Amino acid sequence: MTQVVISNTEARARKKWRWPALPTSVVIALCWIALMLVLACFSEVIAPYGFTKLDLRNRLAPPLTPGHWLGTDELGRDVLSRLVFSIRVSLLIAFGATIISATIGTTLGFLAAHFRRWVEQIVLMLADFQASMPFLILALSVLAFFGNSLVLLVGLMGLFGWERYARISRGLAISANAQGYAAAIRQLGAKPPRVYFTHILPNIASTLIVSMTLVFPEVILLESGLSFLGLGVQPPMTSLGNMVGYGREYLTRAPWIMLCPAATIVLTTLAISVIGDWLRDKLDPTLK
Amino acid sequence: MLRFFALRLGRALLTIVLVVTFAFVVLRLSGDPALMIMGPEAPPEVIAAFRKAWGLDEPIWIQYFDYFGAIAQGELGRSMRDGRPAIALVAERIPATLALTLPALLIKVGLGIPAGIYAALHRGSAIDRAVMVAAVAGFTVPSFVLALLLVLIFAVQLGWLPSGGQDSWRHAILPIFTLGVGGAAVLARFTRSAMLEILGQHYIRTASAKGVPWRAVVTNHALPNAAIPTVTIVGFMVGSLIAGAVVVESVFSWPGVGRLLVVAVANRDLAVVQCILLLVALTMVTSNLIVDFLYGFLDPRLRTRTGSA
Repeated sequence: MTQVVISNTEARARKKWRWPALPTSVVIALCWIALMLVLACFSEVIAPYGFTKLDLRNRLAPPLTPGHWLGTDELGRDVLSRLVFSIRVSLLIAFGATIISATIGTTLGFLAAHFRRWVEQIVLMLADFQASMPFLILALSVLAFFGNSLVLLVGLMGLFGWERYARISRGLAISANAQGYAAAIRQLGAKPPRVYFTHILPNIASTLIVSMTLVFPEVILLESGLSFLGLGVQPPMTSLGNMVGYGREYLTRAPWIMLCPAATIVLTTLAISVIGDWLRDKLDPTLK
Repeated sequence: MLRFFALRLGRALLTIVLVVTFAFVVLRLSGDPALMIMGPEAPPEVIAAFRKAWGLDEPIWIQYFDYFGAIAQGELGRSMRDGRPAIALVAERIPATLALTLPALLIKVGLGIPAGIYAALHRGSAIDRAVMVAAVAGFTVPSFVLALLLVLIFAVQLGWLPSGGQDSWRHAILPIFTLGVGGAAVLARFTRSAMLEILGQHYIRTASAKGVPWRAVVTNHALPNAAIPTVTIVGFMVGSLIAGAVVVESVFSWPGVGRLLVVAVANRDLAVVQCILLLVALTMVTSNLIVDFLYGFLDPRLRTRTGSA
């Protein structure tokens, strides 16, 4: 058994790491995500105008108008500039929410794996509850009770999908606990947080990262849905769903206001799902 | 078998208890419930009466049990907008929501399941690829985008159908289509992968090897087994009928429960929101229970197994 393990690691070390052959769809998806990230990081530099800058002489200008390549909206605000800032806001919320939910879920999963018994039962019960209620309805009720703010919105979205990380990390931590390395660290006197976060976490990280890429598009869709309904990101701030929601009023006269952010939402979720599916096949075929 | 159902029933009750607890905690955290439900303009004696009626002067755990008692008796408060009981407001919207969601469910099941089965049986064919592309599109195109695209094409450009309202059956076509098509694509993908997994099993190969005709293998061995995961997804879809209608009803200004919820959230009409929350939880729990009972019929192992579940 030990020999097999050693020869495996040796073989892995000997084989030179090569750039994996990427399918075309994944390359395109990666390029799109890279573009989105660049737009989000350098919004101020890239956007030709501020996202609230009015140009009242050029209201509802169609795309390809010189100076406004994607046209303008009802107040003469440049659609391209608003799109660039919306991408930043939507991505920030989605990243923030994904990180929060992964942290909460993984921690709860570890707690369940460590204490077992009733702690585990409570975590599993909460996970079942979360999975069985439509998240949109829970989110809407919290927004109704507490009103709306960006912090609350990110925190709320941060609860989305935690149960998946919790289930995965619980299962993997239980099986990792039974393995030699975890026992060895424990024998050396490491406290549980050290065992879980510096030793078990890196070993199960690939599975967690795959689930993050699978949850991420759903977070984007959820945020854009809430903002579309006027219950997510509030003006004057703008997000992709928010743009679609307000662009809807001008569907007949200026469909580009709504079509540009809608296309961005679709392409971004599509790109991340393509990458997520590919990562899952590469890193972890055991995940569904 | 009995134990299995008893466990499931217990879990269903637990979910309801958790939802009520959730509503209770959120309601208490968000401020004075008397002011929240009765509105800030309510006269002090009304507020005092409300406090007394709801036992807000009692210790918190007694309030918690009283809250359960009130909900069990159907006392869900009154709408802040027009003072009518929230439960009546919600109930009169249910038919409109069902008018959209039931036909949509028929489309999902009637289109999605056969498409998924066909795609799995003809893996790699043009239809299989079309199903997969549609499934990816069904996941990545949010329903509000699909709805607006349909309005843009069929209402604005072609002028065939109205873009919103509830005056005739023609108004229902676009919302039903929006709800049905997205769900059908998702269901097709699940059915396809369930079928593919079953078709890769040893007992399918055994059945083929001993000379059972392929048609019989599919109908007698593959379909009943693939039905189990598919029923789970359909059950989830039935349970989330109301939740799924929220966005679509808003886009098409369809006066159903979903639109009521959005308006209630925007106005912070808490009694109505709480009532819809409970309604959604009840639908979800009921459909999960039905799915569990169906498992009993679909999976003979559950019927024969006694005791340890």
